[in-house]
Amino acid sequence: MKRTLAACALALAMLARPAAAATDIDFFFPVPVQGKLSNEMQRLITAFNASHPDINVTAVFAGSYDDTNLKTRAAIQAGRPPAVAIESANFVREYVITNDAIPLDDLIAKDGTTPAAFMENFWPALRGNAMDGTHVYGVPFQNSTPILYYNEAAFREVGLDPDHPPATWQEWVDAAKKLTKRDGNTVTRYGLEMVTTYDTLGWLVSAFTMSNGGQYYNPGYGGEVYYNDPTTIGAVQFLDDLVHKHKVMPEGVTDPNAVGNAFFTGRAAMIVNSTGALSFVRENMKQPFRVAFVPRAMVNAVAIGGGSLIIPRGNSPERQKAAWELIKYLTSPEVAGGWSRFTGYFAPNMHAYELPAMKEFLAKNPDAKVAIDQLAYARGWFATYNTVAVRKALEDQVQAVLSGRIKAPEAMANAQKAADEILRPYVDRTAMKLPE
Amino acid sequence: MKHPVRMLVVCAAALIWLIPFAWMAVASLRPDVSGTEDLASLLPAGPFDFSNYREAWASGRFPLWYLNTTILCVGILIVQCVTVSLAGYAFARLRFRFRGTLFTLFLMQILLPPAVLVVPNLAMITRLGLYDTLPGVMAPYFASAFGVFLMRQTFLSLPRDFEDAAMIDGATRLQVIVHILLPLARPGLVAFAIVSVTSHWNEFLWPLMALNSPSHQVLTVGLASFTSAAESGGSWGVIAAGTALVAAPLLAAFVIFQRQFVASFVFTGLK
Repeated sequence: MKRTLAACALALAMLARPAAAATDIDFFFPVPVQGKLSNEMQRLITAFNASHPDINVTAVFAGSYDDTNLKTRAAIQAGRPPAVAIESANFVREYVITNDAIPLDDLIAKDGTTPAAFMENFWPALRGNAMDGTHVYGVPFQNSTPILYYNEAAFREVGLDPDHPPATWQEWVDAAKKLTKRDGNTVTRYGLEMVTTYDTLGWLVSAFTMSNGGQYYNPGYGGEVYYNDPTTIGAVQFLDDLVHKHKVMPEGVTDPNAVGNAFFTGRAAMIVNSTGALSFVRENMKQPFRVAFVPRAMVNAVAIGGGSLIIPRGNSPERQKAAWELIKYLTSPEVAGGWSRFTGYFAPNMHAYELPAMKEFLAKNPDAKVAIDQLAYARGWFATYNTVAVRKALEDQVQAVLSGRIKAPEAMANAQKAADEILRPYVDRTAMKLPE
Repeated sequence: MKHPVRMLVVCAAALIWLIPFAWMAVASLRPDVSGTEDLASLLPAGPFDFSNYREAWASGRFPLWYLNTTILCVGILIVQCVTVSLAGYAFARLRFRFRGTLFTLFLMQILLPPAVLVVPNLAMITRLGLYDTLPGVMAPYFASAFGVFLMRQTFLSLPRDFEDAAMIDGATRLQVIVHILLPLARPGLVAFAIVSVTSHWNEFLWPLMALNSPSHQVLTVGLASFTSAAESGGSWGVIAAGTALVAAPLLAAFVIFQRQFVASFVFTGLK
């Protein structure tokens, strides 16, 4: 039916303007949360094509965020860039550094607004990753923060008040100790579990570091990270203590599936996971659960995660124009709100929350409201030159700490050394390039 | 039963190999396994039904993906059979300068990890106008260093008498290859075909890079498009069912042609 409609619309458009052919563009998108999102994305694009007869978008599933990055860069180098791609929000800086994404300022200006005014539509915490200086390079599409999920029944069982979840690290450790159940030497229920595989681990450590008063990385310059500083060492030491001192968290590396299943089956009483997993948890958790802010050390702080829309370099002005139409459609309050309700991500466009459908949804799902409230304390995501490698330099060391092979101070010294080495080429041609 | 110890080792290895398949079969037949205590259970505990298979089948365009993957694998194999047998013959029988050096250079290709070649290959197929086409995905595999090596070894192991006799009777080189050497080298070709088809059937990264249009999609990328779940956690039943659907044709083919396959591998000494 939709296809017929689209065909009719297309035929009409052709009759009206016989000379103008539709602009064909490719749109690369990753599916980082759940597979069925892929079909929902195809549906959105079909609707877009039907309402824009002069543009024909092909939505291309491109794997994970890392795969999508690889595919986009390979396509740019091969001279066949997609017109639009969703990239992990913190990769945008690298696209700017390598000159592989175009600034969107001109397209914004054509709509009669300014980059600053345009970004006003989005949550403040998202703007850092989307902009470079005063120029807009990315438009936030799907975003998340880490959040604490907890099992209500388990809280009551050990005498904790589900209405007052732990708010500080001290309360967190105390609660986790009470919630941990032991049967002889084996733990039958862990007080706390969190995802400690690549990507999520770096994201969480950055949140804990910021909460511990730190910066973690230099938001204004892509060549500096602060791994070997007290704020980061303290955050990593905290994780080490949870595992080896308080013994409330399992040793080693735990992946998202393991964490999800531990929570669903009552083998973990609290978990830290992405707000992007909210819909998935809601569908699969049979016991009552609630969500809360990630507990704080000194200040509440979490890092933004998620994906932004970019226009890669190498597209003709005509394709850029079509790309911009698609970007505006995908980030409009209606579409962004619908995508948010479907996925569990929060909607980056603040105006989405003024729509009746969204108000109704939040009233019905107070957990989604907590994710929004936490945004007041959210900050930009770790972004540097060669982001993935610099992030892994830390993650490898933290995983070694979690496995009990090394202690935090030494691990962070190693991580810093490795990261500095990776950043050196960029530092040498920027901050260390001095007048002769 | 002459070597009970060896038998035991073989059985143990077979069992280890079997576990993922057994788990896939069990998980795919149990509805709603996510969030249950015995998620990883190998023991079949009901209830069982085909709802996971129905959901997996409905989530993707499996008939199209089967067709594309089959075209891809068969297309690559047909061209490879021509190139590897001719090149294998050249390295086995012809005498020319730098033959040894050339052969070594050829073999070094095996050492290159395919991911390194993604960008140059993509640039090349784009220049040939093959970006986002199945021939574009096939093109980089038309020559195979491994296949050339295998065919060269196979040809070397054949006695030269038949060829010499045919040559004396006036046969051309091509006639010798097609009518005498290839029939004798069939087990080698079959062994190569198995390796080639399995690796391209299972390949993910390169088709993901080279294809855009949904109508050109292959099984592996299609499967990932509805089963990947990095931030939440997977629906194991559907993933298992989808994986079974992807693997089924190869498994079935192996069971049907098992006798020939085993004979080929024994012949070539491949493991």
